[in-house]
Amino acid sequence: MHITSCIVHTRPENAVSVQTALEEFEGVEVHGGQEQGKLIVTVELPQGSEAAETMTKFHAVKGVANVAMIYHHNEENEPN
Amino acid sequence: MKLSRRDFVKNNAIAAAAAAAGVTLPVANTAMAAGDDGIRWDKAACRFCGTGCSVLLGVKDGKVVANQGDPDAPVNKGLNCIKGYFLSKIMYGKDRLTQPLLRKKGGKYDKNGDFEPVSWDEAYTIMAEKWTKTIKEKGPTHVGMFGSGQWTIFEGYAASKFMKAGLRSNNLDPNARHCMASAVGAFMRGFGIDEPMGCYDDLEHADVFVLWGSNMAEMHPILWSRLTDTRLSKPNSELHVLSTYEHRSTDLADNPMIFTPQSDLAIANYIANYIIQNNAVNKDFIGKHVNFTKTVTDIGYGLRPEHPLEKAKKGKGGKLTKISFDDYAKSVAEYTVEKASEISGVPKKNLEKLAKIYADPKKKVMSLWTMGMNQHTRGVWMNGLVYNIHLLTGKISEPGNSPFSLTGQPSACGTAREVGTFAHRLPADLVVKNPKHVAFSEKIWKLPAGTIPPKPGYHAVLQNRMLKDGKLNAYWIMCNNNGQAAANFNEETLPGYRNPDNFIVTSDPYPGISAMASDLILPTAMWTEKEGAYGNAERRTQFWRQQVKAPGESQSDLMQIMEFSKYLKVDDIWPADLVAKAPEYKGKTLYDVLYANGQVDKFPKQEVKDEAGNVYGNDEMERYGYYVQKGLFEEYRMFNSAANIIKKGHEMAPFEDYHAARGLRWPVINGKETLWRFREGYDPHVPKGAGVKFYGKPDGKANIIFGPFEPAAESPDKDYPLWLSTGRVLEHWHSGTMTRRVPELHRAVPEAVVFMHKDDAKKYKVRHGGMAKLQTRRGELELRVDTKGRNKPPKGLIFVPWFDESRLINKLTLDATDPLSKETDYKKCAVKVSKA
Repeated sequence: MHITSCIVHTRPENAVSVQTALEEFEGVEVHGGQEQGKLIVTVELPQGSEAAETMTKFHAVKGVANVAMIYHHNEENEPN
Repeated sequence: MKLSRRDFVKNNAIAAAAAAAGVTLPVANTAMAAGDDGIRWDKAACRFCGTGCSVLLGVKDGKVVANQGDPDAPVNKGLNCIKGYFLSKIMYGKDRLTQPLLRKKGGKYDKNGDFEPVSWDEAYTIMAEKWTKTIKEKGPTHVGMFGSGQWTIFEGYAASKFMKAGLRSNNLDPNARHCMASAVGAFMRGFGIDEPMGCYDDLEHADVFVLWGSNMAEMHPILWSRLTDTRLSKPNSELHVLSTYEHRSTDLADNPMIFTPQSDLAIANYIANYIIQNNAVNKDFIGKHVNFTKTVTDIGYGLRPEHPLEKAKKGKGGKLTKISFDDYAKSVAEYTVEKASEISGVPKKNLEKLAKIYADPKKKVMSLWTMGMNQHTRGVWMNGLVYNIHLLTGKISEPGNSPFSLTGQPSACGTAREVGTFAHRLPADLVVKNPKHVAFSEKIWKLPAGTIPPKPGYHAVLQNRMLKDGKLNAYWIMCNNNGQAAANFNEETLPGYRNPDNFIVTSDPYPGISAMASDLILPTAMWTEKEGAYGNAERRTQFWRQQVKAPGESQSDLMQIMEFSKYLKVDDIWPADLVAKAPEYKGKTLYDVLYANGQVDKFPKQEVKDEAGNVYGNDEMERYGYYVQKGLFEEYRMFNSAANIIKKGHEMAPFEDYHAARGLRWPVINGKETLWRFREGYDPHVPKGAGVKFYGKPDGKANIIFGPFEPAAESPDKDYPLWLSTGRVLEHWHSGTMTRRVPELHRAVPEAVVFMHKDDAKKYKVRHGGMAKLQTRRGELELRVDTKGRNKPPKGLIFVPWFDESRLINKLTLDATDPLSKETDYKKCAVKVSKA
């Protein structure tokens, strides 16, 4: 299980289009922050490095002003 | 409701992000997963840029297994950039060097031999032989060292002492010369004391931000996130971005301005003129706190003396002449909006919009800059022109009004600048050419008078030229990769390293270009494999404990310097008349004189413990039997914090205080850090009733310095019709020695490309995704073309990042420097493009 989170900054007026673009990546969910232009984003993928690499791609999404990494959880064979 | 393990972890992830962003979310606010089994957590300063983020490192079984942004750190408040996110992986690249390697043939050292593993003893023995022979036969000006803004404070201090006091050579310069020297020059000229007056708190206090030649979004992402936060949350806040091409920082700009390279000089003078013409000068402030001066003009481009541009110059140096306010006003009067617009290519309305916010007394303005302004043949002038604007309006040294020079390396400030690893400097802003400073330093270091040479040594660019010319013969490159970083690789760097007269040593954790072009490679214990300290761009000094052991036989830079000093005998290195003045040193080694001097070795071996009682290793203390880092730091404090110091304003707290704090911003007086310097109420050095005092200068006044627009060293012409600008990308740091060994970062940006305008691509018959050949007067290189990427140059300019050692852009760049700061202009030379 690999779960990472980050904050994606955008101008509030672009928040919806940025959210839509981010959610096209596999394992990405946006949990809030649209009004402030600070999207709270998680990436959940089977491989940790893939999740991280997804976040590196956020920078290239149109309207993204900044991506700040926050949290990384990485554990093997954990029952859920 | 019962949460699954997955939900629990995910809620943690969401809650942590929301807390850091200050966003309220309706999710279960669970506690952070504290106390993970067997993982020990401790703080450390990040190894990359000058921001100085604090990270928490998780260590298990002698390995760093996790890291996260430090929520208690005032700098980054729990945030990480993408490089910081993968920080701990930089220590675990597959090709870490683990033992010394010497070029040998037939069992003996041979400059043309192949690298063979040798013992440390063999490595230091051959070094001692080369250094001793060189000094005896040719003198101490023939040995040199290229140091680093990535050295820990202790290492920089030990190196400065080793070179200036031990080997008696001022040929010590750091890679910070390529990065910060222009900023330093301007601080000294303008204020008489180095480093910014404000701090990162200004990122929340300012109303308006102006970037002058900085792509903060990629180069200082965490500071950028703080700026972005303010811009998005504070009503009527604005962002103005001046750059020579569009990039991620211009995306957020309210007023993006793309200017022709070098024309920032005209823009800054126009703003000063606008302020004067519109009666926006803060007369009270300039009357009390400012002197008006002008600088010598037409000073050349720091090229070799035989270069036609150097022969043609009429002026020399940076002497300042006092002028009146009216003289100054007349000097800037020619920089009308029309003229600034014509020179820069920026529309008049954008320039006026920028000038207005500086002139508006109600707007608090923070100006930020990095390499666009520093790597500039008029970098010292240009830094000064921005201070002029802030001084004219009195918008300085108070919350939110802040001219702020960002740094590129984690300890460019703390190490390179503050402990004096430049060719002309000594600790705490002292200089070798001032006899009083030298005498003071010699006294602290217990040296006979005349030990420290009074003449500045070779600066970074001159070191490479002197290597090529055979005037610098025993040379040590440490904690950086100057073989890749220095400009004009083909004509200067490589011929210098491979000159048969020279013996070149590189200390590095990885085999980079410098190491591979050397004769001896020393494997280095890096970052948290040793106890360390860095000083960031806001004067914050931060310490960390040794977290893990380095692989193989690696030794820290500090240990390498100290070990090598044991192989050098005072009687061999110093002239007999100097030894005669200090008979107690006869028969001793440099180690005895420099480190076992009763001061550095003063603090006995002890246990290093954190607040939770965890015990940490310290390899230097283990080897030498005393607390080396503490001894070095406390001796260093004799330069900046003792009662008899020459220059006040750099005071630091005792050693232990820093292990307990998330860093402290100097001057630290009575345990209290200083956020805004030179302003009463914030800075204890400013007397009551003074309001503002620029106490770095004898009369307490700062200098406004007029410097005009002058052209770049090499501009596009019919043969080489485009500007070439070089720099970094977010994912890689400097020469990529570390970041290219992190698989995720390498995959994100595997190779350097050339960013160009699509019309230029068409004109020169290349296409997006195809290969282009770049040629300058110095070299050529093939690169993949990118016309759609993150950087969007205007027509007439191309941009190439320099991290990629297999696509070495510094074969093409010109080693023109600011004649005042000696810093290379990596942003401007002329290039042509054709289909590869």
